[in-house]
Amino acid sequence: MTTSPIETLTQQYGNLVPTGRLIDGKPRSILFDATKCIGCRHCVQACKDWNDHDRTSLYELSSTNWITMEPPVLEGLSPLWARNSCMHCNFAACAAVCPVEAITKYEEGPVVINKDVCIGCEYCIHACPWEVITKNDITGKASKCTMCSDRISEDKQPFCVQACPVSALDFGFSEEISDKAKKQAEAIGGYIYGEKEAGGGNVVYVLKEVKEKYGVRNIGAEKFPKHKIPLGLMLKDLFTPRCGIAGKLRALYLAIIHPKRLIYRYFS
Amino acid sequence: MMATANSDYANFFPKNRQTRLPGGYMGKILRIDMTTGKLTDLNLPEESLLRKYWGGQLFAEYVLLNELPLDIDPYDPANVIVGMTGPITGTGFTPGGTKMCFVYLSPATRHTLGRGATSGYFGTSLKAAGYDGIIVTGAAQSPKYLYVGEDKVELRDASRVWGKGIRDTEEMLRKESGHQDARIGCIGPAGEHLIRAAMLVNDYNHTAAHGLGAVMGSKKLKAFVAWGTKRPRVHDKNRLIDAGARWAKAISSRKTTVKKRLTSVGHGEDWGAITKLNWRSTIITDEAKGLDQNRVTLRPCFQCPRMCPWDVEIGEGRFKGKVGHFNAGSEWMDTFYNLGFKGNDVLYLSERINDLGIECSHFACGAGLAFEAWEKGVLGPDHTDGLKLEWGNLEAVETLLERCARRETWLGNILADGPKELAEELGGEAKNWVVHTKGGTPAQHEWRPLLSQMLRELVASGGMKPQGAGGAEPPADLRYREKWGPLDPNQPDGWTSSHCWFALNEKPPDGVQSMVDSLNATTGWDVSLDETIDVGHRAIILQSVFGTQRGWIAEHDWQDVGPRFLEPIPDGKYKGFTIAKWLPGLIYEYYRISGRHERTGRPYMDTLTRLGLEEFKEWSQLD
Repeated sequence: MTTSPIETLTQQYGNLVPTGRLIDGKPRSILFDATKCIGCRHCVQACKDWNDHDRTSLYELSSTNWITMEPPVLEGLSPLWARNSCMHCNFAACAAVCPVEAITKYEEGPVVINKDVCIGCEYCIHACPWEVITKNDITGKASKCTMCSDRISEDKQPFCVQACPVSALDFGFSEEISDKAKKQAEAIGGYIYGEKEAGGGNVVYVLKEVKEKYGVRNIGAEKFPKHKIPLGLMLKDLFTPRCGIAGKLRALYLAIIHPKRLIYRYFS
Repeated sequence: MMATANSDYANFFPKNRQTRLPGGYMGKILRIDMTTGKLTDLNLPEESLLRKYWGGQLFAEYVLLNELPLDIDPYDPANVIVGMTGPITGTGFTPGGTKMCFVYLSPATRHTLGRGATSGYFGTSLKAAGYDGIIVTGAAQSPKYLYVGEDKVELRDASRVWGKGIRDTEEMLRKESGHQDARIGCIGPAGEHLIRAAMLVNDYNHTAAHGLGAVMGSKKLKAFVAWGTKRPRVHDKNRLIDAGARWAKAISSRKTTVKKRLTSVGHGEDWGAITKLNWRSTIITDEAKGLDQNRVTLRPCFQCPRMCPWDVEIGEGRFKGKVGHFNAGSEWMDTFYNLGFKGNDVLYLSERINDLGIECSHFACGAGLAFEAWEKGVLGPDHTDGLKLEWGNLEAVETLLERCARRETWLGNILADGPKELAEELGGEAKNWVVHTKGGTPAQHEWRPLLSQMLRELVASGGMKPQGAGGAEPPADLRYREKWGPLDPNQPDGWTSSHCWFALNEKPPDGVQSMVDSLNATTGWDVSLDETIDVGHRAIILQSVFGTQRGWIAEHDWQDVGPRFLEPIPDGKYKGFTIAKWLPGLIYEYYRISGRHERTGRPYMDTLTRLGLEEFKEWSQLD
C-alpha cells in the first residue's frame, strides 16, 4: 500500500494545508497529452460551460476563465499546445499561505478555494508557483480551477476531460494515470511533466519537445517552493480595512491555533 | 408589393413579449438598414411562434417571405438577408450546436431561395453579443462592415479592407475590434464584384455559399464582426449534458481523423466516384498522391466532437510550406479534379478560391465547360486573353480564378455569371456539356450514381447545397412511422432545425432522438419526433412557396438543368447509370407525397392547413 501524498505532506511539514475528503479518498489525476492536443480549446470552453462563466476571453486566465491553451493564437494555428491551469499540487503553497484556511487539498486530488471563506488577501495569487490564481474583479475573491470537485464528488470526470474530442485529456485514479503517462512518454520518446515539479500534483503532462517550446514553466522539485508575498500587501492587510474585520479576526484566531502555518506564511 | 398580403407579420416581433423566452434564445434580432445606417433591436416572437418556426432556416424563411418584395433583382437594395441561429447554437453542450443560416433571393438563380448556412464560431459569437439573428436591408454608398458587440453595435467604414482577400480581412478586422476572440464573417473580392456564387467565409474554415457573398457585396457590406461574453440560458443543464453526450455517442463513428485527411480524395471516396475533366470521368486514380506528406490539423467547430474542419501545411511539391483552411466537405477538391489537377496542387488552389471567396462548384462547372470547349476547339485563344485552357494548367487556372473574382476579361466576367450563361454564350453543342441546376450549381461531388442525392440536388433551390437524402433504410428512431422511404418529403433539409447536418447520424438508435431531447432540454419544450418532422416539412414548403412567388414551377427541376448532369455516367463502376430514366416520374412523386402539385410544385391547401401556413394560401394549388 502506497502512502498517500497527503500523509507524506503531514509527516514532513506538519499540517500546513487544510485537507478534506470528497468521496472515497482515492487520489485521481488529470493527464494532458500534448502530443494529441490540437488546440481546439474545447476544454477551455467546457470549463466555462460547466461553471456558468461568461464567455470571456479564452486567451488569459481570469476569474471566468480557469484554463488557457498556449500560445494565445486562434484555435489550430500552432503546431504545439500546452495546458495552463491549476496543477492541483500535493504541497499546495496557495493553501499553506491562506490566512483564513479558505483553500483545501482534497484527498481525491482537487485543491479548491472556498469563495465564501476567501477574504481576497491575494496571498495565494503570489504564492502559486504556476501563477494560475486570479482575482474576481467584482467579488474580490480568489478564483481558479477546481478540478471539477463537484463532479468528482459524484464520481464523474472533470468537464474539460469529457469535452476533449481527441482524448488529449484523460482522467482516472492517479496510479493508473501515472502508468498511462509513463507508457505514452516512452512510446513517443517524450517525458512527463508535473509529477515532480513543486513536489508533484494531480495534473501531469506528457510532452515531447523541450519545455521552452511549449512555454511551460521551469519549476524545481522542491515541495512548497519559495514564495514571496509583497511586504506592502501584508502591511495593507494588517493595517487597513482591507479583507474586513471578520477576516482579520479569523486570520488571527487561526494564527494562534496553527502557529506553524504562520511561520511558513511569513518567514519561510 | 410584399409577398404575403394576409400575414399577421406586423406583430411578429412584439414590442413587449407576453410569453416566456424559451431557453437557448438570447431574445433579440438586429435589423440593419444599410441605406440609412439605422440599427434597430427587435424582440423575438412569442413562444408559440418560436416553437412553430424553430431553427435557423425556417424562422429566417418566414421572415424573408414577409419582408422581400416580389419582382426585384437579387442585387436590388430591396433584397433582404435574414440570418438566424437556432436555440441549440452556442449552448456548448451538444455536437453541431454551431449553425447560422442566411436566406435571401438567390443571385445564382435570380428567382429561388438563396440559402447560405455556416458553422464554426460566428453564430455562437453573435449570441455572445446578445443577438439570435440579423436582418439586413438596403444598400450603403460606401464599403461598410457591421460590428455587433455586447459593448456596442455599429456600421463601420470598411474601405481599409475593401479589395482584400478573406484571410487578410479576417485578421485585420479582428485586430481592429480590439478583441482577440472576435469572430468574423466576410466576403472577398468575389463578393465585392458580385460574382453570382460568391461566399461568405467565417472563422477561417467555414463558408456560406449560394451567393450570400454577392448579395452582401451589392449592399457594400464587407463583413460581420461579432464579439461578446453572454451565453444562452438553458432550461435544464443536466438533461442537456446527458442528451448532448448521447448525441456525441451516436456520431462518434463519424469522427474525422487526420489519417483520412492524409489519404482520402474526399467525400467521393465513400462511394468511389469523383468529378474529373468536366464531369467526363469518375474514376479515382492517384488524386491523393502526396497528401500523406502534409501536416494536417483538425480544427473542430465550437464544441463539436465531429471535427470536420481541418488545416493543412503542404509537405511536398511546388507548394511545400503553403497552408490551407478547409471545412467539412471536399467540394473544393472535386472542383480541381474536375479541372485536371491532383494531389497538393488541388489543396493549394482550394485555399486560393476560398481566399477569393468564390463558391467552388460555380467555378468548377464554369471553368470545366470552358476547358472542354477549348479542348474541342469551340473556345479559342481570342476569348481567353492569352490563357491556354489545358487540363491541369496551373497558371491558367490561377489567373482565371483572379479574373473571375474581379470580373476581368470576357471569360472572367462570364464565369462570374455562371456556367449556364457561358453555355448559352458558346451555343451549339457546348450547351450539352454544362452542369447546373436552375442556373446554380450542385455541390461539387459526383452525385450521379446516388439516386436520392440526385433527387435532392434537382428539387433544391438551384445551387443551394441542399442537405439530406440518404440510403434505403429510414433513420432508426423513425421506423415507427408508416410512411417512410428515400422519397419521404421530410428528408431533404428536414433536419436543418438549427444544428449542423454533419453532426447527424440517423442510422443508430437514439441518433435522432438525442437531438430532439437536446432541443427540449435547451428550450423547455416537449417536442416529439413527429413535430420535428412537421417543422422540417414547413421549411421545405416555405422554400418552394418562395420559388412559386417568383415563377418557379416543378418542371424547372428537371428541365432547367445542365444536360451533362443527367447524362449516363461515362465510366467506372457506375457506368451507364442515370437518374434520367426515372424522370420526371420521380420528381412528380416527390411533390405528390410532400403535399404539393406534381406539375406546379404548389402546396395544396390542406397541406398549408395541416402545417398552419394558411397565410400563404394565395400561393397554393387550388384545384
